[in-house]
Amino acid sequence: MNMPTQNSGQADTADQAADAGAKDAVVAARGLSKTFADGTVVALEGASFDIAPGSFVSLVGPSGCGKSTLLRLIAGLIDKSSGHLKVHGKPVDAPRTDVGMMFQRATLLEWRTAIENVLLPTEIKRSLTKEDRRNAAELLRMVGLHDFRFSFPTQLSGGMQQRVALARLLQTGADVLLLDEPFGALDEFTRERLNVELMRIVAEVGATTLFVTHNIAEAIFLADQVFVMTPRPGRIASIVEVPFERPRSPSLQTSPEFNEVVAEVRDILGEDH
Amino acid sequence: MSDRRSSSYALAYWALRALPHLLLLLALLPVWELAVSTGFITSILVPPPSEIIASIWELYVLDGTIYPHFLITLTETVAGFAIGAAVAITLAVCSALSETFKRYVSPYAIVLNVTPGIALTPVVIAWFGYGMGSKVALAAIISFFPIFVNALTGLLQVDRDSEEMFRSLGASDRQAFLKLRVPASLPLVFAGLKIGLTTALIGAVVAEFAQATAGVGVLMNRFSFQLDMGSSIATLLSMTLIGLLLFYAMEFLDDRVVFWRREGRRSVVSRARARRWAAKFGGHESPETEAASSK
Repeated sequence: MNMPTQNSGQADTADQAADAGAKDAVVAARGLSKTFADGTVVALEGASFDIAPGSFVSLVGPSGCGKSTLLRLIAGLIDKSSGHLKVHGKPVDAPRTDVGMMFQRATLLEWRTAIENVLLPTEIKRSLTKEDRRNAAELLRMVGLHDFRFSFPTQLSGGMQQRVALARLLQTGADVLLLDEPFGALDEFTRERLNVELMRIVAEVGATTLFVTHNIAEAIFLADQVFVMTPRPGRIASIVEVPFERPRSPSLQTSPEFNEVVAEVRDILGEDH
Repeated sequence: MSDRRSSSYALAYWALRALPHLLLLLALLPVWELAVSTGFITSILVPPPSEIIASIWELYVLDGTIYPHFLITLTETVAGFAIGAAVAITLAVCSALSETFKRYVSPYAIVLNVTPGIALTPVVIAWFGYGMGSKVALAAIISFFPIFVNALTGLLQVDRDSEEMFRSLGASDRQAFLKLRVPASLPLVFAGLKIGLTTALIGAVVAEFAQATAGVGVLMNRFSFQLDMGSSIATLLSMTLIGLLLFYAMEFLDDRVVFWRREGRRSVVSRARARRWAAKFGGHESPETEAASSK
């Protein structure tokens, strides 16, 4: 049931397989690998998967399993060593406008108000219009910070700062959202609340989401699919389908069915989890 | 309206805090006066406060001798500082932008730093003469280094995550420099400017001590040669005054520019931006409430 070879079988097939996979998938990878410069550290090996439009994928695994590397490859922040990677059918070779990324730290600019921070992505592309400003205000309303749109980041709590960062991510207009442990630095209560909000928001904008975490329950609770990753070399050990209906409430996490999925993921990760 | 009220509160608060200091000073002065008048301290070397006050009265009020000198030293300091700062910041920006440039400039910056700047005084006077030129030059030379080092450190200390965020947004190097690195460097740039300004004053005064026709340094030299200690100290106080004036001017600028590091300024700027936004793009809600509620 949890054979680690589930998806890597077709890793070495020819280009046509990559093309076939890319047609309906938003993100498609075949045998995607990343070895860092000195050639000894294999950060990611032979990752193959297709991500359907609008789906929510969690990447879970211990440190060094390549989850951040995979995210940075998709973001175009680093170059792959071998294999194929396409987003919307086009190879990834640089950061692009249809892919947006959010980090564990909010990385807001301290000298800009919340709304000025949200407008940054647009400002980098072109000069601002009245429509952009309205949209930014609307996004801040969506993340529940409309009343704080003129506050500076240092006047906001950690959770609020991440909400601003989320609004900034949505302002990019990207439909592939890459979230690298976005709420990892927050306390558990805030994190849980933000997770529920995140699910609502990405469903509302219809974005395809990749969410990195090392919390197994969180990974399952949020996702349609969980990529379970193992280290040395970093690879996708298995892709677990999450069967639960949406919308989901936090109480789902106490159900026996949920815990079965948790146990399945734990099993794949092995004894160190 | 509320701003005005809170600023008058602030003034009252400040006055209340200053009061004990003032009282302590006033209590110490009679002790000093007594120590001199009883001969415990020689009055030729240390003048009693009454003599200093008399000299202040004469220099600053009766004949106003101090003012032309005061203005000259102030001008030399500000001009020297401006030149030093302009060169330092230009070189820091170039060094931050180009690794090669930095490699070629930093040895000279280090040499300039380890050489006592004050020791250049005779050379600078030989080059620029007895007038204001040599004072401006020395002030510029010795204020250069702290500003250069701080600005360069500020421009080079980049938050890796923020930089990656800019890259993921497809920002050009130019955009990342102007929108991220420059503003992020400002707190350190201002730290450097504050040190540089104080240093510039030292440069101007030392050059005046060495060889000059006017300036508070000249005046002080003259008084101490005459063993007129009261006037010497009264002149010294004018240097303190120049220092304070420049320091607070810089502090004021720092407060305005690096507002996000100052809690009080932050909420003021936040409200101002909300008002500006409402005026330019129309705010359907009153912007006054939010900055207040964010506290």
